[in-house]
Amino acid sequence: MKLTNPQPATGNPQAAVNLRFLAPEVLARITSLELLARTVVEGFISGLHRSPFTGFSTEFAEYRQYMPGDDLRYLDWKLLGRTDRYYIKKYRADTNAQCHILIDTSASMRYKTGAVSKLQFAQFLGSSLAYLANKQQDAVGLLAFDQEVRTHVPAHNRVGQMRTIYGHLEQLEPGHETKLSKMLHEAAERITRRGIIIVISDFYDDPEEVIQALQHLRFKGNDVIVFHVLDKNELDFEFTEPILLEDAETEEQIHVMPDVLAEGYRQTIRAHIEQLRGGASRNRIDYELLTTDKPLDYALFSFLAKRAKQ
Amino acid sequence: MSFLNPLFLLGLAAVAAPIIVHLVRRTKAPRVEFPSLMFVRRVPQRTIRRRQLQNILLLLLRCLALLLLVLAFVRPYFGDGQTVSSGQRADLILLDTSFSMRYGNRFEQAKQRARAVIDASGGSGRVALLTFGQSFDIQSQFSPDKNQVKSILAGLQPGFDGTDYVQALRGAEGLFKDVSESNKNIVLISDFQAAGRNQAEAAYRLSKEVKLTTIDVGEQNSPNLAITDLGVQPLIYQPKYSDKLTARIANFSDEAKEGIRVEFQLNDHTVEKREIKIAPRDATTVEFTGFNLTEGANRAVIQIEGDDFPFDNRFFFTLRRTEQLKALAIESATRGRSESFYLRNALTTGENLPFNLEVKTAGSVNPSELGQYRVVIFNDPGGISQALSQQIVKFVDGGGGVIIATGPHTDVSAFNQAFQTIAPAKLEESMQLRGEYVAMSEIKTDHPIFEVFRQSGRLSSAHVFGYHRATPTERSSVLARFEDGNPALIETLHGSGKVLLFTSTLDSSWNDLPLAPIYLPLVRQMTRYLGEREEGAWHQVGQSFTVAAAKDGTPPAVDAPNGDRITDRKQTTTGELIINAREPGFYRLRYPGVSDFAAVNVDRKESDLSKLDLEQFIAAVTGADPKAATTASASERLSKEDVESRQRVWWVLLIAALLIFVAEAVLARRTKMAKVIG
Repeated sequence: MKLTNPQPATGNPQAAVNLRFLAPEVLARITSLELLARTVVEGFISGLHRSPFTGFSTEFAEYRQYMPGDDLRYLDWKLLGRTDRYYIKKYRADTNAQCHILIDTSASMRYKTGAVSKLQFAQFLGSSLAYLANKQQDAVGLLAFDQEVRTHVPAHNRVGQMRTIYGHLEQLEPGHETKLSKMLHEAAERITRRGIIIVISDFYDDPEEVIQALQHLRFKGNDVIVFHVLDKNELDFEFTEPILLEDAETEEQIHVMPDVLAEGYRQTIRAHIEQLRGGASRNRIDYELLTTDKPLDYALFSFLAKRAKQ
Repeated sequence: MSFLNPLFLLGLAAVAAPIIVHLVRRTKAPRVEFPSLMFVRRVPQRTIRRRQLQNILLLLLRCLALLLLVLAFVRPYFGDGQTVSSGQRADLILLDTSFSMRYGNRFEQAKQRARAVIDASGGSGRVALLTFGQSFDIQSQFSPDKNQVKSILAGLQPGFDGTDYVQALRGAEGLFKDVSESNKNIVLISDFQAAGRNQAEAAYRLSKEVKLTTIDVGEQNSPNLAITDLGVQPLIYQPKYSDKLTARIANFSDEAKEGIRVEFQLNDHTVEKREIKIAPRDATTVEFTGFNLTEGANRAVIQIEGDDFPFDNRFFFTLRRTEQLKALAIESATRGRSESFYLRNALTTGENLPFNLEVKTAGSVNPSELGQYRVVIFNDPGGISQALSQQIVKFVDGGGGVIIATGPHTDVSAFNQAFQTIAPAKLEESMQLRGEYVAMSEIKTDHPIFEVFRQSGRLSSAHVFGYHRATPTERSSVLARFEDGNPALIETLHGSGKVLLFTSTLDSSWNDLPLAPIYLPLVRQMTRYLGEREEGAWHQVGQSFTVAAAKDGTPPAVDAPNGDRITDRKQTTTGELIINAREPGFYRLRYPGVSDFAAVNVDRKESDLSKLDLEQFIAAVTGADPKAATTASASERLSKEDVESRQRVWWVLLIAALLIFVAEAVLARRTKMAKVIG
């Protein structure tokens, strides 16, 4: 059996230096997710020295004219005293976004052929994104699920929230079978305040149903970023000898002859990916396909691009 | 199917050889976990499957060829065991003698076919004869004497009861228990009407070692007119019958019937005649009312004319005109308030009432007058005189009914002393629930008093605020309890009479029962139960009914409808005579100086002569394939050529095995070639 080993991101040596903290096999050695997130994000931001995304910090409070029906508690009395005008003061927390990270912890996420499994990759990505979001003063929440919700940390901006999130992220274990679309619908109902929703999953579900569920999240007014995490071997199917494949979730077994099957398999999974990508783009959802051997920068770029629009 | 050389069956072990080779040679692929087979499944794997299929096909062909080879050597044959080894045969003829067999010449046909079966049973075979309707009668045990069985058969006549095939088959199976012959056959001769299949016994299966053959003597289409039901009030207390008497007349045919004459006769005199018409497969109701009845039992008949099957065209029933049931309520009537206010209204409101209630206080009752009442109700009467308590014991002994209701005027020790002999329970202290209440529960709905309430939960709707605790005696039974487990209604039998004890009041002082809708029916049911002999207007052939003894305890002489005196007399412990109803008509009960009657009708289920789905029935009873079963039923004795031909199967098997070996060789070669080329 021949398997392709995940390769670190190479190419431009300069880029390799900049991204050295972002290669998954390097990150796999860092045990604390908090430290990992900080390493990734700080390294990443320093690499963005002249990027258009610098200075995206949104620390301002907003005033707007008082309208009948507004709560008088928010009326700015001092301003009224000074200017004789009625203004409503909006607090910073109101203007900042909420960021929810949804992680699929189904049994299929356990799969790995390289240094990190899909779930570990999702943990790295999740913690980095959480750190980054927190730096933007966003309230960060976490929701991990397989066939039911395993962990739910509602989004908050309070002290200790990040520790809670890292703690929960560290404890994530691959679970059972998943029904992704159902769980996304449930998440859409659970998350009441709109914001950014990041979905990290391997998307083993009917693409139509997944898109519908993502639409549901969109419909609730959220900006949705989808990270489709796959192992490289899931894309390439590089087996040579006849094997008995066992489904990690259902434990169903099937005899396959890779020489007969591989090409058909690759076409099918690509069609699946294209279907997801197409559905996401139709609904203005950011879709990013990540393999576990790729650095995390794609993911972080994607997040920042979305965040900049907020 | 049986085998001539069963020892060769050991050769079946050879079939295992190719399977073992197949398993041993199979290469095992390593197991690899993969996140999801979602996409793997979507890719068609025809190449793999075809190759696997070819292997499996080869394996199957090899196994099949070996199997056929072995079967050819064991020499199978089909059909009766008798064809191979005679003298091992026991035939049981199950002959339907139900009332529907009187239709046309069915019974004669059935007897003819039964004779043919006896003749065909072979020289050394044994034959038994069973007749059946609703139950079965053994006419002849297994016997090699065919002539004796035939002479019994010749004397048989159809009866008047219904049909139950499962009962008959059970009886037949029972008779086979002591039979040593290996070849056991039941030949069921019947008209196979659908009504004979007891749906409650749908799960019944005939034993595997008994073979069932059916001979159908019924026509596919059997038109019939019948009176299928009657709605009647059997007990009347006035000379005029003012209720509706309704007869249901059904047309079991595919043609409309016109000009059907319906006649209502009372004591052999025509009361009314009608002419009706009924649509095909339909029924109509005819009503009669407003006729006069003589005192005592009246013989009534409704008959129809208009078809060729007369046995279900007459419906016999009795109408009894009796005196009203005299009841006496004894109360305390303290402070001018009658405890029996509700009781009186419940028992005496309405028309054509069976009750005649008198209300007296405990002091004003003359104990010697009790004999004129059928029921005495002690409605919380307070003190009871010694003379009255002695007299009430005699009253109950003589068959009277007593209801005792306790209440605020009941002195527990005086009560226990007064009713010591007859009371169903020893009374204890009274319970007052003060603001709380209990409802009635644990009601015995199979008791005649509560039968009518079985469907409604309303008995529990009354609130009881006070009652007396009571300890039932050994001979009594608790018919209802309160929610807290204390008895509410207790019954005991004493002599020929019955006593009911209600531990709360029959007025509204300790409960709101009198204000509940169930009060009137409950009180009437209790009084009726004690005072009346429940008798239906008619009985059915096949059932048994009881006949009351005369007042001096001697049972009446009973004449059957054909005039014969019934001599096999069985009596119940209470002296009642048990009569088995065997034929339709009026049974005359001769009491000293007076005659009573009991009406008996044929089983009306039998009037619907629609056919049973025979294939389905045989399949259900034998558990066999319906087609195979009917073929068996149609099969005649085998000729010698047949016997020979049925053992020739081994030729076919051998040739088939050879052909399969050739096919296997071709396929194996192809597979190998494909591998080499590949």
